[in-house]
Amino acid sequence: MSKIGLIIQREYASRVKKRSFLVITILVPILIASLGFLAMWLSIQETKNIRVLVVDPGNLCGGKVFVGMEKNPPATFYFQQEDISLEEFQHSEKYKAYDLLLGLDANVITNKGIKGFFREKISTQVEYYIRNKIELRLEEYFALDYGISLNEYRIIRQEFNFHLENIDPEKVDTSYAQWVGFFFSIFIFIFIITYSSQVMRGVIEEKTSRVVEILVSSVKPIQLMMGKIIGIGLVGLTQFAIWIVLVSVALFLMRSFIFQDMMNPENLANAMGPMEGMSADILSGQMDVITKDSELIYIIYQGIPWATLLVLFVLYFIGGYLLYAGLFAVIGAAVDSETDSQQVMLPVMLPLMFSYAVGINIIFNPGGPAALWFSQIPFSSPIIMLQRVAAGTVHIGEVILSLALLTAAFVVILYGAAKVYRTGILMYGKKASWREIFKWLRY
Amino acid sequence: MNRSAKRLKISINFTPILILAEMEMLRVENIVKQYAGHLALDDISISTKKGEIFGLLGPNGAGKTTMIRIINQIIGPDAGKVFLDGRELRRDDISKIGYLPEERGLYKKMKVYDQVLYFARLKGMGKQEAKRKIDEWFEKFEITSWYSKKVEELSKGMAQKIQFIITVLHEPELLILDEPFSGFDPINAQLIRNEILDLKKKGASILLSTHNMSSVEEICDSIALMNHSKLILNGELSAVKEQFRSHTYAIQFKGMTFGFANALFADFSLEHSEQINENTAVAHVKLLKGNSLNDLLRTVMQVVEVESVNEIVPSMNDIFIQAVKAKKGGDHE
Repeated sequence: MSKIGLIIQREYASRVKKRSFLVITILVPILIASLGFLAMWLSIQETKNIRVLVVDPGNLCGGKVFVGMEKNPPATFYFQQEDISLEEFQHSEKYKAYDLLLGLDANVITNKGIKGFFREKISTQVEYYIRNKIELRLEEYFALDYGISLNEYRIIRQEFNFHLENIDPEKVDTSYAQWVGFFFSIFIFIFIITYSSQVMRGVIEEKTSRVVEILVSSVKPIQLMMGKIIGIGLVGLTQFAIWIVLVSVALFLMRSFIFQDMMNPENLANAMGPMEGMSADILSGQMDVITKDSELIYIIYQGIPWATLLVLFVLYFIGGYLLYAGLFAVIGAAVDSETDSQQVMLPVMLPLMFSYAVGINIIFNPGGPAALWFSQIPFSSPIIMLQRVAAGTVHIGEVILSLALLTAAFVVILYGAAKVYRTGILMYGKKASWREIFKWLRY
Repeated sequence: MNRSAKRLKISINFTPILILAEMEMLRVENIVKQYAGHLALDDISISTKKGEIFGLLGPNGAGKTTMIRIINQIIGPDAGKVFLDGRELRRDDISKIGYLPEERGLYKKMKVYDQVLYFARLKGMGKQEAKRKIDEWFEKFEITSWYSKKVEELSKGMAQKIQFIITVLHEPELLILDEPFSGFDPINAQLIRNEILDLKKKGASILLSTHNMSSVEEICDSIALMNHSKLILNGELSAVKEQFRSHTYAIQFKGMTFGFANALFADFSLEHSEQINENTAVAHVKLLKGNSLNDLLRTVMQVVEVESVNEIVPSMNDIFIQAVKAKKGGDHE
């Protein structure tokens, strides 16, 4: 076996045989599968019903709001004309059952101010629901004032079902897919950081234990560096492959046993509620919520281009890893102990962190200029591009271009890293500054 | 010269050791290595013979490690050439060299056996051959029970032994040992010394870098002394010692020191004298103006009864200090 082959073998075997590798490799997919299960399971669970006490001294609401025919409304309204103090609401046994107190001042129609107090923060979705109901009820006063009948007003007030769709009927709604893309981004980010820093630790270990001195009397420094980088990268790919298998099995089992009903189109329709029974005067805000719930499950199983994402994940991981591993190897060679590495690491960590931050923004704007540029720049493309692919806002040519740029970048970085590494590993007892590191490039 | 030596070896093959001693193993020619801040090696040339133990000496920072790294092809020289066995050093020569660095180190978490096998294979040995050799050496040192121990479980001395085995396992023609005795207790140091002499007997050439002057005296055939990046002494140990001979003798005698001193006149210089007991004394006398020991004896025998005479030979330690100090003095002038 060639020398670099021997090094790769040692780096790989010494890590894969570790107990921690086994534990993480098995635990993480279990964690991911359970979280995934939890998300899907929660999405089809009924949400807690919020009990709203509306104090309405002027009896403006007449003791009721229009709630339509919803099956599981997120809130229920109770009315009372007698005013109460906040303290009373907070402490009195009588009001313990209510989650939210809404006060309708007698002048609410003119001053248009409604104030409420919650015991525990409620979700924006529920807040929107409550506000909508109360506003609608109060607006009916205006309607009557302007001579519009209640029924007419309700027809006017009904929200339009505003829905954007991809012009290509083959492509489904990608808003969930974008989250999956972001999940991939986080994943690749963690993978790159984890394995690149393992390269750094490996280099520091060899340097501080002085093993490097015997090593470089047998192999060239570049063989040593590349052997280490490749060996550790293969550990990453192995782990990833095991995870993919485990998560796929878990998803398959869930689909076969737990969400079986959901995947049946008939049941899916039922879960979305009795749509045919909904008349036009149902406010549609809630319809979306119900539809989206089961959409998550649907998308996970059918709406994500898994194969494409996985292949690209592997390619971008390899590219991004080689790029950052080269930089981390430089840091390892330049410092004398792991504690020293923190400061020197900053300039290398920044682009990674920055890409991650950009990734969050791109969820909301996958076709914007940030997405366009950062999916090409090699330092961020491994993290950003998968998101764009998941969102379906990318052309194959762009993927090829970004992969080509990434390849060029890691070739240059590794070339430079090898030069710095060669000098750095034999410098004991001092921490090199970036200025010195650049000087070593010219040696 | 090399070619003729080889021819000689073929024709008179019944005295191979003698012939080997005449052949060159390593030659370093006009090596210069400049670092950003300082000149590490300033035009250094040395050569070692086959089958000899060559001591590379010098104070800390003299440039020994840089020199050793260049021979090991860990770094390259800025100028100059290195020849091994008559040929300019090539990359694949590393399998012919065994290197024990001063900064010892092994993978702490790796098992002893796997580790030795790994380094042997990096030196280009086949797996089976390496395994056989490992068994051989471990049995010799009676440490086969360490095979599945991790290095972090071993004591410093034990790890040193492992490292020594790693250095010699692939049967290198040239052994480069940087401070091989440091870190060993006297018993193990002796064991390693014997191993080194044994390897020499088997034909290996050894380059030894050390501060331990007594071991130099004991085992080195030739030496080179470096100081401040320069070579200040070089040659066979006996020749170097000859060079530093001060022609001073210790004479033990019965009689009066006063009379003894008076008898010396201008031809000899009394460096030092000491009364051992009531009527016995030892005097250190240096010969001057081409006088011989016989002249000295003739002179003093007239006044005292000589009991013993010994030449005061400078130890390697003295030579080291003297040479380095003289150079320093010279630098200042």
